[in-house]
Amino acid sequence: MKTSSLERTVGRVLGAGALASVALLAIGIVGMGVLHVAPLDRPFPPFDLGRLPADVAALRPSGFLWFGLLAVILTPSIRVIASLLGFAVAGERRMVAVAVVVLAVICLSAALGAGG
Amino acid sequence: MAELILLICGGAIAGAFGALLGLGGGVLMVPLLTLGFGLPLREAVGASLVCVIVTSSAAASVYLQRDIANLRLGMTLEMFTAIAALAGGLVAFMLPDRVLALMFAALLLYVAITMARAREARDSGPGDGPDAAQPTLAGADHTGADSGVGADTTGDRGLAAALSGPGYRVRNLGRGALGSLLAGLVSALFGVGGGIVKVPVMNLVMGVPIRVATATSNLMIGVTASAGALVYLFRGGIDPYVAAPAAVGVFAGASLASRLSDRVDLRMLRLLFVAVMVVTATQMALRGVG
Repeated sequence: MKTSSLERTVGRVLGAGALASVALLAIGIVGMGVLHVAPLDRPFPPFDLGRLPADVAALRPSGFLWFGLLAVILTPSIRVIASLLGFAVAGERRMVAVAVVVLAVICLSAALGAGG
Repeated sequence: MAELILLICGGAIAGAFGALLGLGGGVLMVPLLTLGFGLPLREAVGASLVCVIVTSSAAASVYLQRDIANLRLGMTLEMFTAIAALAGGLVAFMLPDRVLALMFAALLLYVAITMARAREARDSGPGDGPDAAQPTLAGADHTGADSGVGADTTGDRGLAAALSGPGYRVRNLGRGALGSLLAGLVSALFGVGGGIVKVPVMNLVMGVPIRVATATSNLMIGVTASAGALVYLFRGGIDPYVAAPAAVGVFAGASLASRLSDRVDLRMLRLLFVAVMVVTATQMALRGVG
């Protein structure tokens, strides 16, 4: 993969991720409006990865909101994976190592966050 | 329903302000959510991190496709911003709300002073360039950065060369890494992108042209903020009912503002922003001591 084509591909991944996330969030927000859920209503639905598919399938606003928020947070990680693959194809071993370290830190964040 | 619309509109205004002034919007979202909507500071920071990631992804997408952002440099520095953001996210859950509020007030004052100094520097110089909206130009002389001269004090010339771009050579990687650690910490503690630290470090210390530094900082914000956001997500620090409307508002506001930037009087906007920051910093400080 040529340098500029890698940048373009990674750019497209980011753009698609941002648009998809905002679309999911928008669906959830419309659902909030339809069900008269106010932003400051308490308690807010907790994040539960196991319940996410069922909530989305049942068209619950919280399902779309959490799915969208997860997409927002994971889009940069997907960009790192796309870059890693591009660097690997181009034989840039040092940049592959850098990408692996960045991914490892992101995984560690999730692990430490979940563990706390 | 009114609350929902207010939140989306508030996010849109913060996003538009941020885009026009070269900020991510986080520095405005946190005060809006805490002082305007009465949210606890940590929940406001969690929501703001989400907003910052959305705008970063959208902007970095354009910067990469136009070959402005330096992907290799950004990813190398991300190792440090992400590690510090992880630490910052964990520390944020240990600090009392009042301490965080006082620290945030100090950050707001720093941003206001930087912005005011950038305005003075620009007022005394020739017209605005392509990076006119950047808040980090206070007295900066970019001629050295653009000339591509300067020794790499880290001694790792191979890496510096690999990270350099057309017309410039990256230097001082060690100091750049230290600056990135600070930027990551600031991002996770306060829910901001950290560009206020990264852009001057890359430009003034590492010799990266301001336009590339801004674009690369934008690229890095996504990974930095997501490292912090994951800690907030799993520790219950993100409220989906608040974060989602705020993020959509910020995204819409930033997208609209980027199309209107040529028609807006940035000097007046910057002046207004400085005033808003000073008032907000005072209120945040009062929250910290009261």
